[in-house]
Amino acid sequence: MIEKPDEKTVVVALVGTPNVGKSTVFNLLTGLSQHVGNWPGKTVEQKTGVLHHNGLTIKLVDLPGTYSLTANSVEEQITRDFLVTEKPDLVVALLNAASLERNLYLVAELAELAPRLLIALNMMDVARQEGMKIDLKALESALNIPVVPMVARKNQGLKELIEVIGSECSLPVGSRTVRHIESDSQIEADITHIEQLLTDEDTVPYPRHWAAMKVLEGDSQINKLLHERLPEAQQSELDSFLSDKESAAITMAGLRFDWVNSVLSSAQERPPLGRVSLTEKLDRAATHPMLGLAILLAVMGLVFLVVYGIGVPTQHFLQVSLIERAQSLVFDHMHFAPGWLQSFLGNGLLGGVGTVLTFIPILFLFFVVWGFLEDIGYTARVAFVTDRYMHLLGLHGKSSLPLLLGFGCNVPAVMGTRIIESKRARILTVLLAPLIPCTGRMAVVAVIAAAVFGGKAILVSLGLIAFSLLVLAVSGLIMSRFVLGSKRATLMMELPLYHSPNPRTIGVGAWQRTAAFIKRAGTVILAVSIVIWLLSYFPGGSVDKNFLGDIGRWLQPVGNLMGLNWQLMVALLTSFVAKENTIATLGVLLGQQKAGLSQALKVMLTPAAAIAFLVAQVLFIPCVATAACIRQETGSWRWTAFSIGLQLVLSFSLAIVVYQIARLARIGV
Amino acid sequence: MKSERVEEYLEAIHRRQLTETPVSTSALAADLGVSLPAVTDMMRRLESMGLIDYEPNRGASLTAEGKQAALSVIRRHRLWERFLTDILGVKWDRVHTEACRLEHATSSETEERLASLLGETDTCPHGQPIPDKDGNVRDQGIRPLSEFKLRQRVCISAVAKEEPRLLRRIEKWGLKPNAVVSIEKKDSDGSLKLKLDSQRLVLDKETADCLLARPLSSKEETAEEEIPMSGLRTGESGVLKSYTGEREMLGRCLSMGFTPGSPVRMIKNFGRGPVLVKIHDTEVALGQGMASKMMVRRESAG
Repeated sequence: MIEKPDEKTVVVALVGTPNVGKSTVFNLLTGLSQHVGNWPGKTVEQKTGVLHHNGLTIKLVDLPGTYSLTANSVEEQITRDFLVTEKPDLVVALLNAASLERNLYLVAELAELAPRLLIALNMMDVARQEGMKIDLKALESALNIPVVPMVARKNQGLKELIEVIGSECSLPVGSRTVRHIESDSQIEADITHIEQLLTDEDTVPYPRHWAAMKVLEGDSQINKLLHERLPEAQQSELDSFLSDKESAAITMAGLRFDWVNSVLSSAQERPPLGRVSLTEKLDRAATHPMLGLAILLAVMGLVFLVVYGIGVPTQHFLQVSLIERAQSLVFDHMHFAPGWLQSFLGNGLLGGVGTVLTFIPILFLFFVVWGFLEDIGYTARVAFVTDRYMHLLGLHGKSSLPLLLGFGCNVPAVMGTRIIESKRARILTVLLAPLIPCTGRMAVVAVIAAAVFGGKAILVSLGLIAFSLLVLAVSGLIMSRFVLGSKRATLMMELPLYHSPNPRTIGVGAWQRTAAFIKRAGTVILAVSIVIWLLSYFPGGSVDKNFLGDIGRWLQPVGNLMGLNWQLMVALLTSFVAKENTIATLGVLLGQQKAGLSQALKVMLTPAAAIAFLVAQVLFIPCVATAACIRQETGSWRWTAFSIGLQLVLSFSLAIVVYQIARLARIGV
Repeated sequence: MKSERVEEYLEAIHRRQLTETPVSTSALAADLGVSLPAVTDMMRRLESMGLIDYEPNRGASLTAEGKQAALSVIRRHRLWERFLTDILGVKWDRVHTEACRLEHATSSETEERLASLLGETDTCPHGQPIPDKDGNVRDQGIRPLSEFKLRQRVCISAVAKEEPRLLRRIEKWGLKPNAVVSIEKKDSDGSLKLKLDSQRLVLDKETADCLLARPLSSKEETAEEEIPMSGLRTGESGVLKSYTGEREMLGRCLSMGFTPGSPVRMIKNFGRGPVLVKIHDTEVALGQGMASKMMVRRESAG
């Protein structure tokens, strides 16, 4: 059969360290024709896209950002496993021209696993700005692979990159060879020795030579693999050989940098010593312990100003002009439909799912602002200035940005934990994020505090924020010691150079995150909305003769301890769909509209009960959208259940404590 | 010019004299591999030449003139060794026997030419001082390595024996003169546990006894001292020497570029909270705890 040239498909993998603008390049190359998912069994995003060039179909796979190919992190493992199992036709190593030394280290590793390799040298403008001079020809000849200069954020070099991808893919494999790092060193003999102890089958799917090298480096994953496969005798022979090779990992890393330096010696001219770069100047302020915190506060203030200035009115507009109008359409003009259907459409679907969906503009804005901060390189500085304080919770600086976003909405907070590499720190942050009082909860606090405490409402609200942060701190302290095992969190993170933002990257990123939220959380939110509606409609079909009311009444004994009646318990329960629902539910249950509600609340709640209710409300289980994200980010229903259970216990027990203390002290009873 | 035999004897007596005076004839016989009567014969001859004081049954010691003559031979010997290693590129374990032959056939003119060719050099490749032409030897305060305190940082200065096998071993371990080491442990059998940069070595008694060292001067001490990276102040630079943290974090440190020998510059260190360092052209934030587990050698400012 003759293969038509236009039928040829090649798989090209895009590899690079974090902060080299990989997603920018990927987005520019594939446009919106990309598929976003997760790597099988991992909470790491997988993006693939397709582009066409001269009758060649190029399937581009974006591999996670990684510094090396030793299995220190999930990202590194995914990257190397993809390279050995999927065997891409070509690997494009995207490097940051301004920090070639660090970036070429990865190339030294890739050379072992990639049959065809080319280098896309991004951020040529930044390198120039930092005073680096790079001789591309010299670099190409030192490496023996093509080097394509680029400035992705200015759309430069992409055409050339596609050209070179096309021409490289047509070359036979092995026509270019990169010199390996271990050539002519003591290590080479050691690797050969280990290689002889292994068979090809032992190391499947990894190449034997490469596996031998990684064994010598002390790679935990390969070691585990061999442990399972090797017969006893061989294993002990290997172990005894490795016993005095402890420092091999250090030697090898050193060899890679030697390799890098030998490549760079002819190709790069460094800026004169003592030159202070723009990034360093900006960082003098942004990473200063006091000034940096002040800047962070200002930035967060601005973020919330933008989100609320635009997002909240939009949400309100959608709620009033879309959801409420549709609801009145259902109730006023669909008399032909049975009552249950009207209620299902109006209260279940529109009131539940519809209400959650009106928050999407706010979410989208959060993702835009976040993408912006990330793209200009500020997020890493946030981690830096807050690291000290996060250590108190057994976390490190990378957890602080997600938690800060939590004040807006817990959903981006939970989704934002992806930037944390250590699984332990990530789970702890996911568990703590829903303890941050989000705007939804604060809205409820505002209404009830205003109704019961009048002029002192502001004090009550601030007190509640302080209280929930205290609960968060104590929970963090306890969980990091006892639930997750006390392992010290360590911050080790590259601070990327500052650069001007790229609207396209930010836009596409925000869109993808929002879409992911809708797609993944959507089904859970729908299901929960339907369940809550069923509970609220059946069997009696009215507001107080239903299962939800029954559950509220069944919870009455617990409620009594907090000074709460069954209506308030039901209101708490419905806040699971969306925190704002508390008010709406109370309105329905007390049969009052806005003005009357405030009066009814004042009559119904003693100050002690009001405080207890607000404590319960602020700490109550994460809303369904947040819960869906927790499931998504932890990849486990167990952690989701743990999170819900934790907050249920915290919420009820602290509310009881608060109420009982107030009662005993005879305050506001 | 004295005969080769005479010079050999003077050299041997001088070497022995460093540890014992007078030098017994039996010790000389052993050192030079000759019979006792032959030594006694030569002693009489040297005494008649005024080069030694000799008392039968007690031993010999060099006269001022004899010492001058011995140092002159030693000077030629060590100059030749330098020449062989530095100019001709002969390995340091092979130069001793060559120099033993050349030293006796060297006129004072050749000696001066050699000295001026080699310039400032004042030790042989094994670290022993080269006497100047008036026979003065610079005292460097060097002592056997094993006499130093535990954990004191000392500079290996010389190797007392010039046996090829021993020299090769010392070279392989990286203990050639100017290596900076500290003793971790002294064992009862005379072997020493040493720390050299980040590696640990065990020296048998034979090797340990041959190594002479001197304490570091306070200036060198500050230059050589390994301090935790968290001890670098903002703006200071250093070279990464070793990592003392948990093994499981080593891989991450290495892949982030924290390899021994890498130059680092402290960009931000407020004493508390994380530090910011520049390494391999990028800024990396590092928790205070982690920074205290990486040892660096401070580079002198400027």
